[in-house]
Amino acid sequence: MKKAISIFCLILTFFIIYFLQSNFFTWFTIAGIMPNLYVILVLFIGLFVKRKLGLVLGLIFGLYLDIVLGRVVGISALGLGIIGLLGEILSKNFSKDSRFIVTLMVIVSTAIYEILVYVLSMLRLSADIEIIPFLKILIIEILFNTLITIIIYPLIKKAGYYLENLFDDKFMLTRYF
Amino acid sequence: MYRNKKTGIIGIIVTVIILITIVVVSNIEIENFSQIGGALSSLVMPVQNGITYLKNKITGNNTFFSDISTLKEENESLKDENSKLEQSLRELEIIKAENETLKEYVNLKDKYTEYTTVPGYVINRDTSNYSNIIVINIGSDDGISEGMAVIADEGLVGHVISVTGTTAKVQTLLDTSSAVSSLVGTTRDAVIVKGNLDDNDMLRATYIPTDATILEGDKIETSGLGGIYPKGITIGTVKSIVDTKNLTNRYAVIEPAVDINKVETVLVITN
Repeated sequence: MKKAISIFCLILTFFIIYFLQSNFFTWFTIAGIMPNLYVILVLFIGLFVKRKLGLVLGLIFGLYLDIVLGRVVGISALGLGIIGLLGEILSKNFSKDSRFIVTLMVIVSTAIYEILVYVLSMLRLSADIEIIPFLKILIIEILFNTLITIIIYPLIKKAGYYLENLFDDKFMLTRYF
Repeated sequence: MYRNKKTGIIGIIVTVIILITIVVVSNIEIENFSQIGGALSSLVMPVQNGITYLKNKITGNNTFFSDISTLKEENESLKDENSKLEQSLRELEIIKAENETLKEYVNLKDKYTEYTTVPGYVINRDTSNYSNIIVINIGSDDGISEGMAVIADEGLVGHVISVTGTTAKVQTLLDTSSAVSSLVGTTRDAVIVKGNLDDNDMLRATYIPTDATILEGDKIETSGLGGIYPKGITIGTVKSIVDTKNLTNRYAVIEPAVDINKVETVLVITN
Protein backbone atom coordinates (compact mmCIF):
# COMPACT_ATOMS: atom_id res chain seq x y z
CA MET A 1 0.00 0.00 0.00
CA LYS A 2 2.80 2.38 1.01
CA LYS A 3 4.62 1.45 -2.19
CA ALA A 4 1.58 2.26 -4.30
CA ILE A 5 1.26 5.65 -2.57
CA SER A 6 4.97 6.34 -3.15
CA ILE A 7 4.65 5.54 -6.86
CA PHE A 8 1.59 7.78 -7.02
CA CYS A 9 3.62 10.56 -5.33
CA LEU A 10 6.40 10.11 -7.90
CA ILE A 11 3.88 10.46 -10.74
CA LEU A 12 2.45 13.54 -9.01
CA THR A 13 5.98 14.95 -8.77
CA PHE A 14 6.33 14.42 -12.51
CA PHE A 15 3.23 16.53 -13.15
CA ILE A 16 4.43 19.24 -10.77
CA ILE A 17 7.72 19.31 -12.71
CA TYR A 18 5.78 19.34 -15.98
CA PHE A 19 3.88 22.46 -14.92
CA LEU A 20 7.05 24.09 -13.57
CA GLN A 21 8.81 23.45 -16.89
CA SER A 22 5.99 24.78 -19.03
CA ASN A 23 5.27 27.85 -16.87
CA PHE A 24 7.87 28.93 -14.31
CA PHE A 25 10.98 27.90 -16.25
CA THR A 26 9.83 29.53 -19.47
CA TRP A 27 10.87 32.87 -17.90
CA PHE A 28 13.24 31.77 -15.10
CA THR A 29 15.96 30.94 -17.60
CA ILE A 30 19.71 31.33 -17.96
CA ALA A 31 20.18 33.19 -21.26
CA GLY A 32 16.90 31.74 -22.52
CA ILE A 33 17.78 28.14 -21.67
CA MET A 34 15.51 26.00 -19.50
CA PRO A 35 16.77 23.27 -17.15
CA ASN A 36 15.60 19.69 -17.56
CA LEU A 37 14.07 18.49 -14.32
CA TYR A 38 12.67 15.30 -15.86
CA VAL A 39 16.19 13.91 -16.08
CA ILE A 40 16.81 14.63 -12.40
CA LEU A 41 13.52 12.98 -11.39
CA VAL A 42 14.02 9.84 -13.46
CA LEU A 43 17.66 9.51 -12.36
CA PHE A 44 16.47 9.88 -8.77
CA ILE A 45 13.92 7.09 -9.23
CA GLY A 46 16.55 4.86 -10.85
CA LEU A 47 19.09 5.56 -8.11
CA PHE A 48 16.90 5.00 -5.08
CA VAL A 49 13.81 2.99 -5.99
CA LYS A 50 15.45 0.54 -8.42
CA ARG A 51 13.53 -2.63 -9.41
CA LYS A 52 13.49 -1.29 -13.00
CA LEU A 53 10.96 1.30 -11.87
CA GLY A 54 13.26 4.06 -13.22
CA LEU A 55 13.11 2.45 -16.65
CA VAL A 56 9.33 1.93 -16.56
CA LEU A 57 8.44 5.37 -15.19
CA GLY A 58 11.03 7.00 -17.49
CA LEU A 59 9.37 5.37 -20.49
CA ILE A 60 5.89 6.40 -19.33
CA PHE A 61 6.89 10.00 -18.56
CA GLY A 62 8.79 10.27 -21.85
CA LEU A 63 5.88 8.87 -23.81
CA TYR A 64 3.56 11.38 -22.16
CA LEU A 65 5.87 14.28 -23.09
CA ASP A 66 6.20 12.96 -26.66
CA ILE A 67 2.46 12.67 -27.12
CA VAL A 68 1.55 15.99 -25.53
CA LEU A 69 4.37 18.21 -26.78
CA GLY A 70 6.68 16.33 -29.11
CA ARG A 71 6.78 15.74 -32.82
CA VAL A 72 8.26 12.28 -32.86
CA VAL A 73 6.78 9.72 -30.48
CA GLY A 74 9.38 7.65 -28.65
CA ILE A 75 12.46 9.84 -28.47
CA SER A 76 11.96 11.32 -24.99
CA ALA A 77 10.60 7.95 -23.88
CA LEU A 78 13.77 6.22 -25.01
CA GLY A 79 15.98 8.94 -23.48
CA LEU A 80 14.29 8.95 -20.08
CA GLY A 81 14.08 5.14 -20.04
CA ILE A 82 17.84 4.94 -20.57
CA ILE A 83 18.42 7.47 -17.77
CA GLY A 84 16.24 5.38 -15.42
CA LEU A 85 18.27 2.29 -16.24
CA LEU A 86 21.53 4.23 -15.91
CA GLY A 87 20.46 5.40 -12.45
CA GLU A 88 20.02 1.83 -11.35
CA ILE A 89 23.42 0.80 -12.71
CA LEU A 90 25.10 3.81 -11.08
CA SER A 91 23.50 3.10 -7.71
CA LYS A 92 25.15 -0.34 -7.66
CA ASN A 93 28.61 1.09 -8.28
CA PHE A 94 28.70 4.47 -6.55
CA SER A 95 27.84 5.92 -3.17
CA LYS A 96 24.88 8.24 -3.05
CA ASP A 97 25.93 9.87 0.22
CA SER A 98 28.05 12.50 -1.42
CA ARG A 99 26.52 15.61 -2.88
CA PHE A 100 29.41 15.80 -5.31
CA ILE A 101 28.85 12.29 -6.72
CA VAL A 102 25.11 12.84 -7.16
CA THR A 103 25.76 16.15 -8.89
CA LEU A 104 28.26 14.42 -11.17
CA MET A 105 25.65 11.77 -11.99
CA VAL A 106 23.16 14.49 -12.90
CA ILE A 107 25.74 16.14 -15.18
CA VAL A 108 26.47 12.87 -16.99
CA SER A 109 22.78 11.93 -17.32
CA THR A 110 21.77 15.36 -18.60
CA ALA A 111 24.52 15.24 -21.22
CA ILE A 112 23.59 11.70 -22.34
CA TYR A 113 19.87 12.49 -22.47
CA GLU A 114 20.21 15.75 -24.36
CA ILE A 115 22.72 14.44 -26.91
CA LEU A 116 20.60 11.36 -27.55
CA VAL A 117 17.37 13.32 -27.91
CA TYR A 118 18.96 16.01 -30.08
CA VAL A 119 20.71 13.63 -32.46
CA LEU A 120 17.70 11.35 -32.83
CA SER A 121 15.21 14.16 -33.40
CA MET A 122 17.48 15.96 -35.86
CA LEU A 123 17.98 12.74 -37.83
CA ARG A 124 14.27 12.08 -37.80
CA LEU A 125 13.29 15.62 -38.81
CA SER A 126 16.21 16.13 -41.22
CA ALA A 127 16.91 19.62 -39.87
CA ASP A 128 20.30 21.34 -39.99
CA ILE A 129 22.61 20.10 -37.23
CA GLU A 130 24.15 23.11 -35.48
CA ILE A 131 26.89 21.76 -33.24
CA ILE A 132 28.22 24.96 -31.63
CA PRO A 133 24.82 26.41 -30.63
CA PHE A 134 23.81 22.95 -29.41
CA LEU A 135 26.90 22.69 -27.20
CA LYS A 136 26.20 26.16 -25.82
CA ILE A 137 22.66 25.15 -24.89
CA LEU A 138 23.90 21.84 -23.46
CA ILE A 139 26.50 23.50 -21.22
CA ILE A 140 24.05 26.07 -19.86
CA GLU A 141 21.45 23.37 -19.30
CA ILE A 142 23.97 21.20 -17.43
CA LEU A 143 24.97 24.19 -15.30
CA PHE A 144 21.33 24.92 -14.50
CA ASN A 145 20.64 21.28 -13.61
CA THR A 146 23.77 21.19 -11.43
CA LEU A 147 22.74 24.25 -9.45
CA ILE A 148 19.23 22.85 -8.95
CA THR A 149 20.64 19.51 -7.82
CA ILE A 150 22.88 21.23 -5.26
CA ILE A 151 19.89 23.15 -3.93
CA ILE A 152 17.50 20.20 -3.67
CA TYR A 153 20.11 17.62 -2.59
CA PRO A 154 18.89 17.40 1.05
CA LEU A 155 15.40 16.66 -0.27
CA ILE A 156 16.76 14.07 -2.71
CA LYS A 157 18.72 12.38 0.09
CA LYS A 158 15.85 12.29 2.57
CA ALA A 159 13.17 11.17 0.14
CA GLY A 160 15.61 8.84 -1.60
CA TYR A 161 16.58 6.85 1.49
CA TYR A 162 12.96 6.68 2.58
CA LEU A 163 12.04 5.15 -0.78
CA GLU A 164 15.07 2.89 -0.79
CA ASN A 165 14.16 1.42 2.59
CA LEU A 166 10.55 1.08 1.55
CA PHE A 167 11.29 -0.77 -1.67
CA ASP A 168 14.23 -2.89 -0.59
CA ASP A 169 14.51 -4.40 2.92
CA LYS A 170 17.90 -5.90 2.13
CA PHE A 171 19.51 -2.48 1.85
CA MET A 172 18.18 -1.40 5.20
CA LEU A 173 19.90 -4.35 6.88
CA THR A 174 23.26 -3.68 5.28
CA ARG A 175 23.14 -0.07 6.27
CA TYR A 176 22.25 -0.41 9.91
CA PHE A 177 23.98 -3.65 10.88
CA MET B 1 27.12 17.03 13.02
CA TYR B 2 25.69 20.43 13.85
CA ARG B 3 28.54 22.11 12.07
CA ASN B 4 28.04 19.98 8.94
CA LYS B 5 24.36 20.75 8.86
CA LYS B 6 25.05 24.45 9.23
CA THR B 7 27.60 24.55 6.42
CA GLY B 8 25.20 22.49 4.30
CA ILE B 9 22.46 25.08 4.72
CA ILE B 10 24.88 27.91 4.00
CA GLY B 11 25.96 26.03 0.85
CA ILE B 12 22.37 25.77 -0.31
CA ILE B 13 21.68 29.45 0.34
CA VAL B 14 24.84 30.45 -1.52
CA THR B 15 23.86 28.25 -4.47
CA VAL B 16 20.36 29.73 -4.55
CA ILE B 17 21.85 33.22 -4.63
CA ILE B 18 24.30 32.20 -7.38
CA LEU B 19 21.47 30.67 -9.45
CA ILE B 20 19.28 33.74 -9.16
CA THR B 21 22.20 36.03 -9.97
CA ILE B 22 23.06 34.04 -13.09
CA VAL B 23 19.44 34.03 -14.24
CA VAL B 24 19.06 37.75 -13.71
CA VAL B 25 22.42 38.74 -15.21
CA SER B 26 22.03 36.49 -18.25
CA ASN B 27 18.65 38.00 -19.02
CA ILE B 28 19.65 41.66 -18.75
CA GLU B 29 19.43 43.48 -22.06
CA ILE B 30 22.76 44.92 -23.20
CA GLU B 31 21.30 48.41 -23.60
CA ASN B 32 20.33 48.42 -19.94
CA PHE B 33 23.89 48.10 -18.66
CA SER B 34 24.49 51.81 -19.04
CA GLN B 35 21.61 52.83 -16.86
CA ILE B 36 21.18 52.03 -13.20
CA GLY B 37 17.44 52.43 -13.59
CA GLY B 38 17.44 49.86 -16.33
CA ALA B 39 19.36 47.41 -14.19
CA LEU B 40 16.96 47.93 -11.31
CA SER B 41 13.93 47.42 -13.50
CA SER B 42 15.43 44.27 -14.96
CA LEU B 43 15.68 42.92 -11.42
CA VAL B 44 11.98 43.51 -10.88
CA MET B 45 10.71 42.78 -14.37
CA PRO B 46 11.27 38.99 -14.50
CA VAL B 47 9.19 38.58 -11.34
CA GLN B 48 6.51 40.92 -12.61
CA ASN B 49 6.47 39.25 -16.02
CA GLY B 50 6.24 35.88 -14.35
CA ILE B 51 3.33 36.91 -12.16
CA THR B 52 1.50 38.46 -15.10
CA TYR B 53 2.24 35.40 -17.20
CA LEU B 54 0.95 33.07 -14.47
CA LYS B 55 -2.13 35.22 -13.99
CA ASN B 56 -2.90 35.19 -17.70
CA LYS B 57 -2.30 31.46 -17.81
CA ILE B 58 -4.60 30.77 -14.89
CA THR B 59 -7.42 33.01 -16.10
CA GLY B 60 -6.99 31.58 -19.59
CA ASN B 61 -7.30 28.04 -18.31
CA ASN B 62 -10.28 28.86 -16.11
CA THR B 63 -12.20 30.29 -18.98
CA PHE B 64 -11.17 27.36 -21.11
CA PHE B 65 -12.77 24.98 -18.67
CA SER B 66 -15.86 26.75 -17.42
CA ASP B 67 -17.18 30.28 -17.72
CA ILE B 68 -19.40 30.54 -20.76
CA SER B 69 -19.95 34.25 -20.26
CA THR B 70 -16.22 34.91 -20.19
CA LEU B 71 -15.86 32.71 -23.22
CA LYS B 72 -18.37 34.88 -25.03
CA GLU B 73 -16.46 38.02 -24.10
CA GLU B 74 -13.27 36.44 -25.31
CA ASN B 75 -15.00 35.40 -28.46
CA GLU B 76 -16.02 39.00 -29.05
CA SER B 77 -12.54 40.32 -28.45
CA LEU B 78 -11.23 37.66 -30.80
CA LYS B 79 -13.76 38.73 -33.38
CA ASP B 80 -12.46 42.27 -32.98
CA GLU B 81 -8.97 40.97 -33.54
CA ASN B 82 -10.24 39.10 -36.54
CA SER B 83 -11.68 42.25 -38.02
CA LYS B 84 -8.38 44.04 -37.39
CA LEU B 85 -6.63 41.23 -39.17
CA GLU B 86 -9.01 41.49 -42.09
CA GLN B 87 -8.29 45.20 -42.17
CA SER B 88 -4.57 44.57 -42.34
CA LEU B 89 -5.22 42.03 -45.06
CA ARG B 90 -7.09 44.66 -47.01
CA GLU B 91 -4.13 46.98 -46.66
CA LEU B 92 -2.00 44.20 -48.03
CA GLU B 93 -4.41 43.90 -50.90
CA ILE B 94 -3.95 47.59 -51.67
CA ILE B 95 -0.18 47.13 -51.68
CA LYS B 96 -0.65 44.20 -53.98
CA ALA B 97 -2.75 46.24 -56.33
CA GLU B 98 -0.06 48.90 -56.47
CA ASN B 99 2.44 46.33 -57.53
CA GLU B 100 0.67 45.70 -60.80
CA THR B 101 3.63 45.12 -63.07
CA LEU B 102 4.84 42.37 -60.83
CA LYS B 103 1.45 40.74 -60.91
CA GLU B 104 1.54 40.72 -64.67
CA TYR B 105 4.86 38.97 -64.58
CA VAL B 106 3.88 36.35 -62.07
CA ASN B 107 0.34 36.08 -63.41
CA LEU B 108 -1.16 35.18 -60.07
CA LYS B 109 -4.76 35.58 -59.22
CA ASP B 110 -5.79 37.09 -55.91
CA LYS B 111 -6.41 33.71 -54.43
CA TYR B 112 -5.77 34.54 -50.82
CA THR B 113 -7.34 37.92 -50.28
CA GLU B 114 -9.99 36.46 -48.01
CA TYR B 115 -9.19 33.83 -45.45
CA THR B 116 -11.56 31.84 -43.30
CA THR B 117 -10.03 31.63 -39.85
CA VAL B 118 -10.76 29.94 -36.53
CA PRO B 119 -9.47 31.68 -33.38
CA GLY B 120 -7.70 29.71 -30.67
CA TYR B 121 -5.76 30.09 -27.42
CA VAL B 122 -2.25 28.91 -26.74
CA ILE B 123 -2.65 26.44 -23.86
CA ASN B 124 0.79 24.86 -23.67
CA ARG B 125 4.38 25.34 -24.75
CA ASP B 126 7.21 22.99 -25.49
CA THR B 127 9.50 22.27 -22.53
CA SER B 128 12.52 21.36 -24.65
CA ASN B 129 15.35 23.72 -25.55
CA TYR B 130 15.68 22.35 -29.08
CA SER B 131 12.21 22.66 -30.49
CA ASN B 132 9.50 25.28 -30.46
CA ILE B 133 6.01 23.85 -30.48
CA ILE B 134 2.83 25.35 -29.06
CA VAL B 135 -0.45 23.61 -28.29
CA ILE B 136 -3.70 25.43 -29.02
CA ASN B 137 -7.19 24.74 -27.68
CA ILE B 138 -8.91 24.03 -31.00
CA GLY B 139 -8.78 20.74 -32.87
CA SER B 140 -10.46 18.60 -35.48
CA ASP B 141 -13.87 19.33 -33.88
CA ASP B 142 -13.42 22.96 -34.94
CA GLY B 143 -12.42 22.01 -38.46
CA ILE B 144 -8.66 22.09 -37.93
CA SER B 145 -6.51 19.63 -39.82
CA GLU B 146 -2.81 19.00 -40.35
CA GLY B 147 -0.85 21.42 -42.49
CA MET B 148 -3.06 24.47 -41.92
CA ALA B 149 -1.26 27.81 -41.53
CA VAL B 150 -1.45 29.56 -38.15
CA ILE B 151 -1.25 33.34 -37.88
CA ALA B 152 -1.56 36.02 -35.20
CA ASP B 153 -2.72 39.60 -35.74
CA GLU B 154 0.78 40.78 -36.73
CA GLY B 155 1.85 37.93 -38.99
CA LEU B 156 2.71 34.28 -39.44
CA VAL B 157 3.17 31.95 -36.45
CA GLY B 158 3.59 28.48 -37.96
CA HIS B 159 1.58 25.50 -39.13
CA VAL B 160 -0.42 22.67 -37.59
CA ILE B 161 1.53 19.41 -37.35
CA SER B 162 -0.99 17.21 -35.56
CA VAL B 163 -4.52 17.45 -34.23
CA THR B 164 -6.69 15.75 -31.66
CA GLY B 165 -10.40 16.41 -31.15
CA THR B 166 -9.92 19.50 -29.02
CA THR B 167 -6.24 20.47 -29.37
CA ALA B 168 -3.71 21.00 -32.12
CA LYS B 169 0.10 21.10 -32.07
CA VAL B 170 1.62 24.00 -33.97
CA GLN B 171 5.21 23.98 -35.16
CA THR B 172 6.27 27.63 -34.96
CA LEU B 173 8.64 29.40 -37.33
CA LEU B 174 11.31 29.41 -34.60
CA ASP B 175 11.52 25.62 -34.59
CA THR B 176 14.80 24.35 -36.02
CA SER B 177 13.06 22.04 -38.46
CA SER B 178 10.76 24.78 -39.78
CA ALA B 179 11.50 26.18 -43.25
CA VAL B 180 9.25 28.64 -45.09
CA SER B 181 9.58 29.68 -48.70
CA SER B 182 9.48 33.48 -48.63
CA LEU B 183 9.95 36.65 -50.63
CA VAL B 184 11.75 39.90 -49.84
CA GLY B 185 9.02 42.55 -49.88
CA THR B 186 10.80 45.15 -52.01
CA THR B 187 12.86 43.19 -54.52
CA ARG B 188 10.79 39.97 -54.68
CA ASP B 189 13.89 37.81 -54.22
CA ALA B 190 13.11 34.29 -53.06
CA VAL B 191 14.61 33.16 -49.73
CA ILE B 192 14.05 30.32 -47.27
CA VAL B 193 13.26 31.38 -43.70
CA LYS B 194 14.39 28.91 -41.03
CA GLY B 195 14.46 28.65 -37.26
CA ASN B 196 17.82 28.17 -35.54
CA LEU B 197 19.29 27.13 -32.21
CA ASP B 198 21.67 30.06 -31.97
CA ASP B 199 19.10 32.69 -31.12
CA ASN B 200 15.68 31.44 -30.14
CA ASP B 201 13.96 34.77 -30.81
CA MET B 202 15.20 35.34 -34.35
CA LEU B 203 14.76 33.68 -37.73
CA ARG B 204 17.30 33.24 -40.50
CA ALA B 205 16.76 33.85 -44.19
CA THR B 206 19.04 31.50 -46.10
CA TYR B 207 19.63 30.62 -49.76
CA ILE B 208 19.73 34.30 -50.66
CA PRO B 209 20.45 34.60 -54.41
CA THR B 210 23.97 35.92 -55.02
CA ASP B 211 22.68 38.81 -57.13
CA ALA B 212 19.95 39.78 -54.66
CA THR B 213 20.09 43.08 -52.86
CA ILE B 214 18.66 42.64 -49.40
CA LEU B 215 18.66 45.53 -46.95
CA GLU B 216 18.05 46.04 -43.26
CA GLY B 217 14.41 46.85 -42.63
CA ASP B 218 13.13 44.91 -45.64
CA LYS B 219 9.84 43.14 -45.04
CA ILE B 220 9.76 39.38 -45.53
CA GLU B 221 6.53 37.61 -46.50
CA THR B 222 5.47 34.14 -47.51
CA SER B 223 5.77 33.24 -51.19
CA GLY B 224 2.90 30.77 -51.30
CA LEU B 225 5.13 28.03 -52.69
CA GLY B 226 5.09 24.67 -50.97
CA GLY B 227 1.37 24.44 -50.35
CA ILE B 228 1.26 25.09 -46.60
CA TYR B 229 1.38 28.85 -46.20
CA PRO B 230 -0.82 31.16 -48.30
CA LYS B 231 0.95 33.89 -50.27
CA GLY B 232 1.67 37.31 -48.82
CA ILE B 233 1.54 36.76 -45.05
CA THR B 234 4.05 38.91 -43.16
CA ILE B 235 6.85 36.97 -41.48
CA GLY B 236 9.05 39.76 -40.17
CA THR B 237 11.67 42.38 -40.97
CA VAL B 238 15.34 42.01 -41.79
CA LYS B 239 17.38 43.01 -38.73
CA SER B 240 20.89 42.43 -40.05
CA ILE B 241 22.71 40.70 -42.87
CA VAL B 242 25.58 38.38 -42.01
CA ASP B 243 28.18 38.10 -44.76
CA THR B 244 30.29 34.97 -44.86
CA LYS B 245 33.42 34.20 -46.87
CA ASN B 246 31.30 32.50 -49.46
CA LEU B 247 28.58 34.70 -50.91
CA THR B 248 26.15 31.79 -51.29
CA ASN B 249 26.32 31.10 -47.55
CA ARG B 250 25.34 34.55 -46.39
CA TYR B 251 22.16 34.86 -44.37
CA ALA B 252 19.91 37.54 -42.96
CA VAL B 253 18.69 37.68 -39.37
CA ILE B 254 14.96 38.29 -39.33
CA GLU B 255 12.95 39.61 -36.44
CA PRO B 256 9.56 37.86 -36.54
CA ALA B 257 6.53 40.17 -36.69
CA VAL B 258 4.85 38.08 -33.99
CA ASP B 259 6.53 37.60 -30.61
CA ILE B 260 6.15 33.84 -30.92
CA ASN B 261 7.47 33.04 -27.45
CA LYS B 262 4.76 35.18 -25.90
CA VAL B 263 1.83 34.86 -28.33
CA GLU B 264 -1.44 33.96 -26.63
CA THR B 265 -4.17 34.10 -29.24
CA VAL B 266 -3.78 32.73 -32.75
CA LEU B 267 -5.93 32.24 -35.85
CA VAL B 268 -5.88 29.10 -37.95
CA ILE B 269 -6.53 29.59 -41.66
CA THR B 270 -8.93 26.83 -42.65
CA ASN B 271 -9.41 27.38 -46.39
